[in-house]
Amino acid sequence: MGVGFVVGVFGGLVLAHAAYSTIQYRGMLKIVEEEFSGPPMNVVVELLLGLALCTWAGLAVPAKFLSILPDSDENRIVYLPANLDFMIFNHRGKILPTNTELKFKI
Amino acid sequence: MAVHEDGRASGKRFHEDDDDMPIFNAENLQSNMKSIYYSRTFLSIIGGVVAGIWGFTGLMGFIFYFLIMAIASLGFAAKAKFSIQKYFDSWNRIVVDGFLGGLMSFVLFWTYPFIRVESLCFYICL
Repeated sequence: MGVGFVVGVFGGLVLAHAAYSTIQYRGMLKIVEEEFSGPPMNVVVELLLGLALCTWAGLAVPAKFLSILPDSDENRIVYLPANLDFMIFNHRGKILPTNTELKFKI
Repeated sequence: MAVHEDGRASGKRFHEDDDDMPIFNAENLQSNMKSIYYSRTFLSIIGGVVAGIWGFTGLMGFIFYFLIMAIASLGFAAKAKFSIQKYFDSWNRIVVDGFLGGLMSFVLFWTYPFIRVESLCFYICL
């Protein structure tokens, strides 16, 4: 999360700088009265760099994909209760005769 | 031969049964979809900003959007380590979902510079 977020912010800054350069370039074109046909080379490089960084950040920052298969390893977590000390395995049913049917037959 | 065919038929039936009752963890699927939705929206906005600065007009911008979405789908497949069936119930989830919603954001951020320039000219003319 941390690294991806920083990369995304950096990509955004690169894009912002590209936008600022383009605004200046358009202002200059207006002064020399020429038509805008495309941004200058350094702006194109900045745009591609910013796009690549932001694409990486956009893919890395959101939550990781979780497996939807019910029998995959990640979905087979067995939860134990926190109060294990209070679990009782000895109870009064233990002293009752287990083989009750035998008793009834007699 | 007859036995072989029979075996194949029963196998097919088994698969049909599988298709009838897909069992998967809906909660994790929801989480995956949300992740994809976030990624796509963010990439649409970034793509719109780039297309706007680059000065694409008309059809070129929409082609650029298709390109961005194709890269995004490829990225999702790579993020799922190319085993789509493990994380999604169909390919449509990573190829189609969120396409139109992203288009709205894209067009907004793509045309934003034009709007600014146009209105600026408008005010200057006034």
